[in-house]
Amino acid sequence: MTVVPPIMGLDVEMSSLDSAPPSLLSQLRGVISSIEKGVASKEMRLMARANRQMLAVRRQLKPSTVNAFLKNTLPAGSDALARLLPFLAAVEKSEKDMDVDTPPATGQSPVSQKQSVLPEVEVFCYLLVTIFLIDQKQLEVAKACSSAAVKRLQQLNRRTLDVLAARVYYYYSYSYELTDSLADIRGILLALHQTATLRHDELGQETLLNLLLRNYLHYNLYDHAEKLRSKTQRSESHSNQQLCRYLYYLGKIRTIQLEYTDAKECLLQAARKAPASARGFRIQCTKWAVIVRLLLGEIPERTTFMQPGMRKALRPYFELTNAVRIGDLELFRSVADKHSSVFTSDKSHNLIVRLRHNVIRTGLRNISIAYSRISLADVATKLHLDSPTPVEDAESIVTKAIRDGGIDASVDHAKGWMQSKETGDIYSTQEPQHAFHSRIAFCLNTHNEAVKALRFPPDAHKKELESAEKRRERQQQEQELAKHIAEEDDDDF
Amino acid sequence: MTVVSTASGLLAMLQESHPTLKLHALKNLNVLVDNFWPEISTNISAIESLYEDDTFYERQLAALVASKVFYYLGELNDSLTYALGAGPLFDVSEDTEYVQTLVTKCVDEYILLSVKAAESNESEKTALDPRLVAIVERMLDKCMQDGKFQQAVGVALECRRLDKLEESIIRSENASAMLSYCLRLSQTFVSRREFRHEVLRLLVKSYQGLQQPDYLSICQCLMFLDEPADVAAILDKLLKGDKSEALLAYQIAFDLFENEYQKFLLNVRDLLPESTSASSSAPLSVTNGGLIQGTRGNGISAMTDGGPTAMDSDLTEPLLGSYAAEESADVSAPPVEERTSYTERLTKLKGILSGETPISLTLQFLYSHNRSDLLILKTIKQSVEMRNSVCHSATIYSNALMHAGTTVDTFLRENLDWLKRATNWAKFSATAGLGVIHRGHHQQGRSLMAPYLPQNGGTGGGSPYSEGGALYALGLIHANHGEGIKQFLLESLRNTSNEVIQHGACLGLGLAALGTADEEIYEDVKNVLYTDSAVAGEAAGIAMGLLMVGTASEKATEMLAYAHDTQHEKIIRGLALGIALVVYGREEEADTLIEQMTRDQDPILRYGGMYALAMAYRGTANNSAIRRLLHFAVSDVSDDVRRTAVLALGFVLCSEPEQTPRIVSLLSESYNAHVRYGAAMAVGISCAGSGSSEAISLLEPLTSDAVDFVRQGALIAMAMVLLQTTEAREPRVATFRRQLEKIINDKHEETMSKMGAILAQGILDAGGRNVAIMLQSRTGHDRVTAVVGMAVFSQFWYWYPLIYFISLSFAPTAFIGLNEELRMPKFNFVSETKPSLFGYPPSVAPPAATSAVKLPTAVLSTSNRAKVRGAKREAEAKASKATGHEAGAGSSSSKAEGLVDGDKDSTHAAKDENAMDVDGGTQKKAVVVEPSSEVLSNPARVVPAQEKFIKFREDSRYAPLKLKRAPSGFVMLRDLTPSEPVELVSTDTPLSAGGAGTAHANTNATAIAVEDNEPPPPEPFEYVP
Repeated sequence: MTVVPPIMGLDVEMSSLDSAPPSLLSQLRGVISSIEKGVASKEMRLMARANRQMLAVRRQLKPSTVNAFLKNTLPAGSDALARLLPFLAAVEKSEKDMDVDTPPATGQSPVSQKQSVLPEVEVFCYLLVTIFLIDQKQLEVAKACSSAAVKRLQQLNRRTLDVLAARVYYYYSYSYELTDSLADIRGILLALHQTATLRHDELGQETLLNLLLRNYLHYNLYDHAEKLRSKTQRSESHSNQQLCRYLYYLGKIRTIQLEYTDAKECLLQAARKAPASARGFRIQCTKWAVIVRLLLGEIPERTTFMQPGMRKALRPYFELTNAVRIGDLELFRSVADKHSSVFTSDKSHNLIVRLRHNVIRTGLRNISIAYSRISLADVATKLHLDSPTPVEDAESIVTKAIRDGGIDASVDHAKGWMQSKETGDIYSTQEPQHAFHSRIAFCLNTHNEAVKALRFPPDAHKKELESAEKRRERQQQEQELAKHIAEEDDDDF
Repeated sequence: MTVVSTASGLLAMLQESHPTLKLHALKNLNVLVDNFWPEISTNISAIESLYEDDTFYERQLAALVASKVFYYLGELNDSLTYALGAGPLFDVSEDTEYVQTLVTKCVDEYILLSVKAAESNESEKTALDPRLVAIVERMLDKCMQDGKFQQAVGVALECRRLDKLEESIIRSENASAMLSYCLRLSQTFVSRREFRHEVLRLLVKSYQGLQQPDYLSICQCLMFLDEPADVAAILDKLLKGDKSEALLAYQIAFDLFENEYQKFLLNVRDLLPESTSASSSAPLSVTNGGLIQGTRGNGISAMTDGGPTAMDSDLTEPLLGSYAAEESADVSAPPVEERTSYTERLTKLKGILSGETPISLTLQFLYSHNRSDLLILKTIKQSVEMRNSVCHSATIYSNALMHAGTTVDTFLRENLDWLKRATNWAKFSATAGLGVIHRGHHQQGRSLMAPYLPQNGGTGGGSPYSEGGALYALGLIHANHGEGIKQFLLESLRNTSNEVIQHGACLGLGLAALGTADEEIYEDVKNVLYTDSAVAGEAAGIAMGLLMVGTASEKATEMLAYAHDTQHEKIIRGLALGIALVVYGREEEADTLIEQMTRDQDPILRYGGMYALAMAYRGTANNSAIRRLLHFAVSDVSDDVRRTAVLALGFVLCSEPEQTPRIVSLLSESYNAHVRYGAAMAVGISCAGSGSSEAISLLEPLTSDAVDFVRQGALIAMAMVLLQTTEAREPRVATFRRQLEKIINDKHEETMSKMGAILAQGILDAGGRNVAIMLQSRTGHDRVTAVVGMAVFSQFWYWYPLIYFISLSFAPTAFIGLNEELRMPKFNFVSETKPSLFGYPPSVAPPAATSAVKLPTAVLSTSNRAKVRGAKREAEAKASKATGHEAGAGSSSSKAEGLVDGDKDSTHAAKDENAMDVDGGTQKKAVVVEPSSEVLSNPARVVPAQEKFIKFREDSRYAPLKLKRAPSGFVMLRDLTPSEPVELVSTDTPLSAGGAGTAHANTNATAIAVEDNEPPPPEPFEYVP
């Protein structure tokens, strides 16, 4: 699998930056201050915000900036600084070769006076350097740096670290994936996952589980992945991104395990929940969803393939769908051959093979709709069955389809024909109600989740306490009203 | 090792028949389990069956693998079972997450099981898994080896392993520190009473085993255990020792006194030998004590048997430490002198135990340091409408609280005409107010109240209301120390049939005989109850509770039965509270009764049940009590019960005031006004005097609540929280004072909240600004009287005269240093903070002479100006105070001026200079630099928060006996230069009722010069027409 799900939420942040770019260093300092605030108030949201702020400046980072920032933030002579600077040195060397007119490190001067620094800030520095190195394509160095970060994290046990730690784990795994050495870190990830479980670090648990699943799936170890997934306790999801990923991996596992209905649900949900900016991820999801739907015997709508920005990537799948829809075995074969390279790289080739059966069945259904009675020999020719005994094959295919409920027909073996039954009125069944119900349930669920996600500013209601004067006024009014009502009551008699 | 991508091969090997293959598979799985547990977990049953297979010789390995797999699966219970099965293979000392987690789980499990075992019946006891026990013991031993004794003590306490507890205390290097840590834990942490007692017994034993027995702590423990005989024996032994041991005995007595456990103190006193036959009676007391100790036969009796002379040399040395050399002269004093001194000492000790000495010292302190501000009262008086009787009597209450224990009744004397407006019950409480003002004035109490007391023959012609009030007042004066007065009160009760007088007499008796469980009085009060008069019955119910505080006797069921019989709501309420008082401090023991009451159909009894919960679990922060109260707070149908349930939380949490605001914060936003009121009071009760900012933030919005009685409660609670908090520490004090003033002056304000504001003023400046509400003593024990007083006070919702009960919870915030003669020597020490941080609030600026009486608003405007000039006035006040002190010093100590005094004088001079400087430089405010420390002289006002800043000078003549003890309350001082003549603080005792007027002299520092030639105050007065 080469298309990597991009970091979600990234593009959104990028746009806000263009208007007024304050100096990078001051932005980074802002990130640090929001981390410190988050630690002080134990507010996870602030930490997450710090993460997003950092991603905003990511693309503009230069070695000199990072260097200055590190020297500024970390206390001179600290372990972390001593460990991080060599990583940067590697980049700077290569940088100098190509990019001569880098301003000579403007922010070099202010060396931090602080004696100690929060572990959170330290970890953040590791994270920043790792991301920077990955961006600079210094993958080996990035690997080393992220490993150092993980090692450091294993020594710490602070709940305020969780958000940052999850990011670090992600880039750790990412850097290993880019160098194609994912198998090396499986053990470490498992250990980290166990630690996170014991410490009730739910975000870390979630992230690490996803990384592990990805790790297994990378090597097609679907069985392992499923075993791990089913054996770990999962709590309610904390991060939408992680939930999307989880659903995607789960969908893939389910597809391989032939549980298409579940798989379809997972994949569709993953595609739906993914942020609009995560295009690559959504394309991946859609591809798998299309295959699963085809395997289920459904035909995806044309709009699925016409989504902006996806049309080109989904082209092979569109053609495949067409072939299945028509039920043309010939066309199907040619499409599969034509795009086989794409399917192989998507790791969906084995599923395409499974589809052949569906093509036949779709064709059969078309036939049963079109003809109220047709001979099996005709069925065989229409389906382009090119076996030595086409009639017998057709007979077995038709009987199997009838038994599976794919078509509503009966076979007259003696006379060698297939007799279709009249299709009833679908609106007289419960079917439409079920469809409506599922849609309504979906809407209600979405609404409830939205309400749950709302956050009110703390203690906002306390400001609305009425003052003594207002209260007096109100009471007076109430009394007058009461008097008024009493008088009216008197008048009635 | 090559990278293995699956464990399926090894798992398949488990199915092989040959054990060697299985063993090989297991061994490899044990290594690989960290990475392949998801795979292995599918085959866990195979491993389990291997473990259960008796023929398989490596069963323990199978158990270990299974344990690890279960650990990864999050099934810690199963994991623990298999880990125990793994035996020695499960290595406790291994430093992996797996082992750590399981050991933690192990300890948790053990604690759970052992607590369950301890609480269930003997017969149901299930044997604990010995392997589990072994692991826990191994952990405990490891703790001790690593020197982590506090952890060992904690775990041992939690597991109820007294043997391990003892071992860890003995093995620690600093046994006395461990013991005090353990003592603290046992009070705050151990929630079951019986077990706590066991721990305390163990502590007493260990304390005695120490090289230098810490008698202070031993006696504390013995008091918790209610063993007066042992305490008496220790005290007696100490008295026979040398000077410093005698000092120690006094200190112990004072500390015991502070816990206000009257019955216990009296028992101790009675068990001490008679003063006249000093040494001969000593063995008698020992046998006396021995009777009770009987079975246990611990060290005390043995030690006392040794006789006085033998002990002297043995025990003084370790006790005295470096001072042994100086004191050795005393030890060799002739025996005759010793005996007389012993008799003297005994008398003194008994004086302390009976309360005489400490109470008169306190009285002296409160009188001489009285700083109440009459102007505030004057303002209140002027702004309150004449016709509004509620506010009128609220002002009287407020005055009584402001002057509680100071014997200053100037305000009443000056406003006799105004006072006459009080009629009926208002007259009752006006008279009773005198009792609060003269609280502790034991010698003069009776003569002070004489004009109002019922005359012999019953038809003295006085109003029954003032007579009843006077009896109540006598009770307040003698609260908790009523030996001398209870006979008189009892007779008054018998001689009357008027229900108002009965009411007063019952309350008075209850107060005077608090917690004595006196049968005779109880019977008389019960007779009053059975007359079924609503007014007298209510008081009788409360009085019965007061008498029986904490006895949990059968009387409670008797009272409950009558509560069911009677028709009068008032009586039921009185009895309900009474029952609650009876179960005071009994914790789980009271649960059946509490259950019975809380399930009653009658809401008043349920309400009593809430109080019973509050009293039984006072200051324990017991989780189950809190849970029950919270449940009732939100689920009961009666508003009264809900209100009380929330309020009761305040009592349960009074040992952990920082918790309360958090717990009641949601309730304080309830839609139900009663619950809000309860929340406010709960915070007020538990955070009293803490000035905690969370408490204030919670109360602040409630003081402007939409409902008037919520405002009332919030104002009172706020005053309790802010008691003795200065503006320098919490700027919101000033805002609150202004708010009170505004509410009192506001014509449109509802009466309820106005009354709350007036009472709040009284509480805020209570006891001449020298007292704090302390529900717990310095040693962390609950003060019975204070808690009981607070509980009855919270009844003022139904019956205003009960407001006076709050005075029981007032404790003077004083440092009173005493020498061996139990007199206050002249002595200085330093408070190392800015004086303003803990000083008195500035007195309200007197309005300009011409407009003094004209308008109440005049004060409002000046108070603003006063704030601007705050710094200046403070400096002035200090200057005059300093000069006052110097004048006093000059008069009394003209002949003897030692080295110490020279030093003191110089500091005074320096201070004066400083003060003069300030006076001169008022124009430029910025120049006023506050000194960073302050010299205080014995006796001095030391606010609880100030204690940590108190330092004793190295070169001072006196040093406190126990350095570790908090420097407040009564502190015995050791004289380092006994050869020099002793200089005492001149005592200005409030002599008689007539002399009380002179107290005025101290109230306003600026008035000192004028007051000297004031005409003598009027004779005792009577405002009854």
